[in-house]
Amino acid sequence: MTALDASTGSAAQGEGSATRGGGATKGGGPAGGGPHGTRGSVAERAPRPRISAERIAASLTLVALIVLGVLAVNEVGISIPAMAESWGNAENFFARVRGLSFPETGDLVWLIALTVGLVLTGTLLAAVLSVPIAYLAASNTTPGNGWRLAARFVGVLTRAVPDVVLAMAFVLMFSLGTLPGILAIGIHSIGMISKMFADAIEQIDEGPRLAIRAAGGTKMQEFASGILPQVLPSWVATVLHRNDINLRGSVVLGYVGVAGLGLEMSYAFKALNYGKGLGIALVIFILCIVMEIVSSTVRGAMLGQQRHTRSWLDRIIHPRLGARTPLPAPARAAWAATPQTAVRRPWTAQRIRHAIAGGLAVLVVIGGIVVSDINWLDLLTFWGRIPEVAARFWPPSFGNYDTAAMVEAMRDTVAIALAATVLTLLPSLLIGSYAAGNVAPGRTSRGAARFLLVGIRGIPELILAIVLVVITGLGPQAGVIALAVGGIGLLGKLIADSFEEVDRGPERALRAVGATRLQTYAAATVPQGVRALIGHSFYMLDTNIRAATILGIVGGGGVGYYLLNASQGSRYETVTAIVLMILATVLVVEGLAMWMRKVFR
Amino acid sequence: MNAASAALIRLDGVTKTYGSSTTALKDASLEVSRGEVVVLLGLSGSGKSTLLRHLDGLELPTSGSVEVLGQQVPALKGRALRRLRSRVGFIFQQFELVPSLTVLENVLTGSLSTVRGPRLGLWGYSRGAKLQALEHLDRVGLLDRAYQRSDTLSGGQQQRVAIARALMQKPDILLADEPVASLDPESSDQVMALIREIAADAGLTVVCSLHQVDLAISWADRIVGLRHGEIVLDTATEGLSKAAVMEIYGRVATTTAEIQAVQAELADAAAEVTAR
Repeated sequence: MTALDASTGSAAQGEGSATRGGGATKGGGPAGGGPHGTRGSVAERAPRPRISAERIAASLTLVALIVLGVLAVNEVGISIPAMAESWGNAENFFARVRGLSFPETGDLVWLIALTVGLVLTGTLLAAVLSVPIAYLAASNTTPGNGWRLAARFVGVLTRAVPDVVLAMAFVLMFSLGTLPGILAIGIHSIGMISKMFADAIEQIDEGPRLAIRAAGGTKMQEFASGILPQVLPSWVATVLHRNDINLRGSVVLGYVGVAGLGLEMSYAFKALNYGKGLGIALVIFILCIVMEIVSSTVRGAMLGQQRHTRSWLDRIIHPRLGARTPLPAPARAAWAATPQTAVRRPWTAQRIRHAIAGGLAVLVVIGGIVVSDINWLDLLTFWGRIPEVAARFWPPSFGNYDTAAMVEAMRDTVAIALAATVLTLLPSLLIGSYAAGNVAPGRTSRGAARFLLVGIRGIPELILAIVLVVITGLGPQAGVIALAVGGIGLLGKLIADSFEEVDRGPERALRAVGATRLQTYAAATVPQGVRALIGHSFYMLDTNIRAATILGIVGGGGVGYYLLNASQGSRYETVTAIVLMILATVLVVEGLAMWMRKVFR
Repeated sequence: MNAASAALIRLDGVTKTYGSSTTALKDASLEVSRGEVVVLLGLSGSGKSTLLRHLDGLELPTSGSVEVLGQQVPALKGRALRRLRSRVGFIFQQFELVPSLTVLENVLTGSLSTVRGPRLGLWGYSRGAKLQALEHLDRVGLLDRAYQRSDTLSGGQQQRVAIARALMQKPDILLADEPVASLDPESSDQVMALIREIAADAGLTVVCSLHQVDLAISWADRIVGLRHGEIVLDTATEGLSKAAVMEIYGRVATTTAEIQAVQAELADAAAEVTAR
């Protein structure tokens, strides 16, 4: 009633509210005229929608970005005729390949082990370093706001510096070996891992933690006994996810001299041995797919409760997970006769399974570290070299590059990223929708779409780019196509997952009204998922800018080309200048994304 | 603090406000002596939980003094506060076990205040501690569940595990915040009986918040009624009829919802009396 009073303005105040309520619905109005008598139609009385200026600005920015993206697509010159033209190149290329060839089996196995071991060790290093950062960054565990800001800043910073750049720097500090690669992966991955770790900490149930505090536990004990067991499944899933990403990214590390399959591939392509290069690329592709399947299986087993987000592959491998029934009350076992006999934990089938899984995991980790053959001595000696190396990277300067040219190159990189993001959007939305269980018309189409996404995600963008560079020649075209295709795998999956997470109630309500599948999708699913969609698209743009830099290193155009040139010419102060420029760009996009998420909440 | 006072818990004029508008506790004074079993009775929002949480230093009073086991709780910090907390067991309405840990590990977390540093898994605890935890589990009838994940147990079983965890602290005082509000009637009877038995065995002082009047009368030695953060009733239960409590309790109800709740309880009580 008070809300009505306020909105209708200066209604006669002497009247009781009850009469006023009645008057409004009857449309009549008390004697004496006044505002009631002159009321217009419903359309006139309806409140005007209020749009905040900030929302308008954000929407305009969004539109502007899309327009810029379309312009960028145009500029890069991706068109059907252009593609047809390059088809001749492709034929030439494949004629020169003359069949795939692989390194010798022994070498190949060693290279695979080395690559996986290096990536795994690097990811684990990042995971370990991320724990304290996440603890400081999570709002419910941080000791203070200053700590929180500092931890978040470390996260953004490590994410913004490409791992290739880190690898370049570390290659200077260490004697050649795997350590530069491990440290580059380890430090670069902190950004994403610590953010996801902190998110997981913020989502815990505070109750058990409170119980431990009430029992007189310290902060560390609260963490180890109350928080860690709750976040562990999600943490493991994060690390596995990041490991997949790092495996795909390890290809480019080869280009700056980190051992493994990437290095072999770069040698092969530089020697124009396309058959071998493509052979290694195929091995990497299969390796990525296998890793993706392994990690999604492990994730599925650990996060077993969330059944609807399991892929159909998990379902094939773990068919019984879905039909889990509560444990039947066991008959009192012999070990449980007295407390004394119960001190030794009995070896149940479940415990044996867990022990085997745990043992395997430990073996894999140890294997990874052993295979990487870390020169531990370097870890002691490199501190002394830091000042010397740092001096070579400072002060930043573009050297003999023209500043305007560098800005232009950075603009090219952003254009590549924008074009790729715009090109990714539509196919991702389409395939992602089909991959969402609540949108797809049937299980088969969902399964097929999910499989397609996994397949696309498995292709390291870099391999795609390298092949495309060979086909279309040096330039931004190859980069844009590579990023756009690779982006479908990631964005499609993110869209599918967030569509599956929407509230199903409105969908059911619309079905009940008699809406078609497409109407339900447009009126219930998309509006609920649109905020996540915007967030994911910006994440995509963010990723693409970093990736576009790296693609430049293999000849995909943009600032990455200069970055590689500068580092190969040992002009490290130029490397610093370029990295700072990339950092600034990434931070701007990050800020834009944060603003968008805030406005479209 | 001198030992002259037999009271283990002494609240004096405790007021707790959140922000400027919400008053959770208003000038509450209360003494509980060793071995007493006291129920805090009140509707939801009456300040029972807030009062209990003050006794364990989980909340700090806005004004007034909270003395537990001879120590001023609000003045305690760090290790001293943890030591006090370890002597006070706390049982929660939602049990608050760590779901992914085994039952035994959950019980062992009750002994964390006696060890230094964090513990990961069962390896971190001594054999003696494990044996003790298993004995407590045996005491609450769940020894054969020791190595199951705690979230595979029913609500009543989980609350019994929580009691075992509290016993692991070797407490002098046991606080229970609506320990049976999330349980079915049969489990609640079991849990309440268990708390009473354990209190008698170990000579514990118990302060338990409840909202069911008849359960409070049959279970406690003494009832303390709260309304809007004020203590409005403090009486021994011996020889007390439900109607009498309801009458005293009803007199202090003022809002419509409260009066309705009280009337419903009174009708139940009347029906019970006529049925006899």
